Amino acid sequence: MTTPVLRLTDLVRTFPGGNKRRTVLKGVTCDFEEGRVYSVVGPSGSGKTTLLALAGGLDAPTSGTVSFRGRDVAEIGLGAYRNKHVATVFQQLNLLGYLTAVQNITAAMEITGVRGVSRRKRAHELLDLLGIDDTDRRRRPARLSGGQQQRVAIARALACDVDVLFADEPTGSLDQDTAAEIIEVFRRLAHEEGKCVVIVTHSPQVAAASDEVLHLKRGKLTRR
Amino acid sequence: MNLFKRAWWHLRVRIGRTLLLTGLFLVICTLSLSGFLIQSAAARAAEDAKRSVGAVVTMELDLNALLAKEGRDGGGGPGASLIGAGGDLHRDLADKIGSSPVVTGYNYVSEGAGAPTDSARFYRAVPPPPELNLDSIAEFFPVLGVRDSEQEAGFRNGSRTLLSGTGVKPGDTGNRALIEERFAQANGLAVGDVFTLSSGKWNPEATDVMVEYTVAGIYRDEKKSDSQRYTPPGSEPGNQIYSTIDGASRLQGKDPATGGGVVRRATFTLGDPDDLDRLKADALAAGADLTVFPLSVNDKQYRTLVGPIGETADFATVTVWLVSVAGLVIVGLIAASSLRERRGELGVLMSLGESKARILGQHVVEITACALLAIGIAAGAGPLLSKTVGDALLSNEVAGAAAQAAEDADAPDLSDIGGGKKDAPAVHPVDRLDIRLASGDLVKVGAAGLGIALLATVVPGIGVLRLRPREILTKGD
Repeated sequence: MTTPVLRLTDLVRTFPGGNKRRTVLKGVTCDFEEGRVYSVVGPSGSGKTTLLALAGGLDAPTSGTVSFRGRDVAEIGLGAYRNKHVATVFQQLNLLGYLTAVQNITAAMEITGVRGVSRRKRAHELLDLLGIDDTDRRRRPARLSGGQQQRVAIARALACDVDVLFADEPTGSLDQDTAAEIIEVFRRLAHEEGKCVVIVTHSPQVAAASDEVLHLKRGKLTRR
Repeated sequence: MNLFKRAWWHLRVRIGRTLLLTGLFLVICTLSLSGFLIQSAAARAAEDAKRSVGAVVTMELDLNALLAKEGRDGGGGPGASLIGAGGDLHRDLADKIGSSPVVTGYNYVSEGAGAPTDSARFYRAVPPPPELNLDSIAEFFPVLGVRDSEQEAGFRNGSRTLLSGTGVKPGDTGNRALIEERFAQANGLAVGDVFTLSSGKWNPEATDVMVEYTVAGIYRDEKKSDSQRYTPPGSEPGNQIYSTIDGASRLQGKDPATGGGVVRRATFTLGDPDDLDRLKADALAAGADLTVFPLSVNDKQYRTLVGPIGETADFATVTVWLVSVAGLVIVGLIAASSLRERRGELGVLMSLGESKARILGQHVVEITACALLAIGIAAGAGPLLSKTVGDALLSNEVAGAAAQAAEDADAPDLSDIGGGKKDAPAVHPVDRLDIRLASGDLVKVGAAGLGIALLATVVPGIGVLRLRPREILTKGD
């Protein structure tokens, strides 16, 4: 059995809501392994995005632990965890508006401390892979379509050479063909480069392409 | 560093915002620098004024203090050997105080009056009207015994000028006199001639003494005689006679060797008005009773010189503060609004693991870059603006001060019974700003500009430090 790269143990997350606190996650426990694509599905309000935020180090749990390669991420530090080990692709608000597509990628590589490669060269390679042409690479996000922006965001996540990639509704704003291309990119990342890919989605197409589908309902996670 | 590169890209892409911030800082920095330059110019002018005019300190009898003192200790008191029991100020004491190192010049005067004789007739621009009974009024020559006629206000401020001979100088003995040219012409007197004054008939108990004076010099008083109507000789500028202290004492029937060393008041010129305390200490050491003969400083010249520029500097100070506070508020609001607009960007950077300090640092760098550019331009524009605005403000203040001075001149100065305040010659206020841009001014405006940039970014940026990327980037599901 493969050692889990990410382990969620009894995660609870509550939020203030009027007079009483609202519990969104009620003791979620799950392991994620390298080289696999996971989909997290569930109805709206089931806690999918909260789960992704906790696993991606964007938020801290009320109780329970998130461990990366056996170390509690609270110990690593959420900032350092996000910086070195994981990357998240959001449905919106992915890119820095004042930078071109290439600059968005090279800036992220600088922030995450990627060394030993030519950053521009690597950025161009990834944009080639994701089908962003030369003209679009020099454009700022406002002049790119939603699908192009999503692909640049994925390229940026790949450029940072992280172990776990999270994606929140990555195909939500894409047409079917582009969505299929993006899903294929995620699969290659997992199966060829050994990354762990966790996708929060409503899309049956994405779920079907995943190695494992996790169902989240009323704060509880179950495997299908 | 990465944050500098991002800041540069942001400044370049959002050029409108960059120009807006730079323009705002330019206004803040230029106004602040102008204020600092005006303050510096005022401080320099004040220092120069201190050195050029110093302050005149007058020592004269405070009659109320003397009466109170005599009532308390029966007429005796410390310093009685130098100060006469009747409240006379002895010139020996003034000489001792005058030797203080903080005194740059001193004088003392003895006021007397002389009656005309055959050799000294009054100068009259207009003869007395026939109906005036000259026996019923006391006509006299005002005779002012002085230690040094050059220290007298009229000679210091140029309204009286020596035409021939010499003035009365320190150390002069005998009955030497300095007379006005109208009196000299009326009596056919020239330097070296002798004339006689009578001690007068207005004191029936006094013996009428005849005192002979040698003309040491002839001066001209710019003050014109009234050619329209009769002026009593005592008020006629042409009849003013200066003499040695000895000469004035003899006219009062006193022997200079014994009781003739008494003077009406003494004035001491200080190189620096701040030296008054030292002068008081030296006066006490010389045996002066400063209760009966208080030292009152007259820094009117100094105040006249620096008054308007001081007002301008005060205005500049208020301007600097107002501009700085208003600038801080405006830049702060812009920075806060910018941070709110850029929440998404902050979230993206946080999701990449960028530290909050560096994210805030990028904003500080952006604003600081605008501030530095503005400071550079302000270094060129500030002196020009401060010169133009400062001179305009100063000319208003000078005009106001001149109007006030004219008003004051018309009004009698009831506090100036002894006339000591008039010992200060007239001066004109500093009416030009000597604007010089010094490194210290740039440091001050730089500190103000950068301080504003830092505060305006860091205070609203504290909110950023509290944010978690989830709050920005997800919908909170």
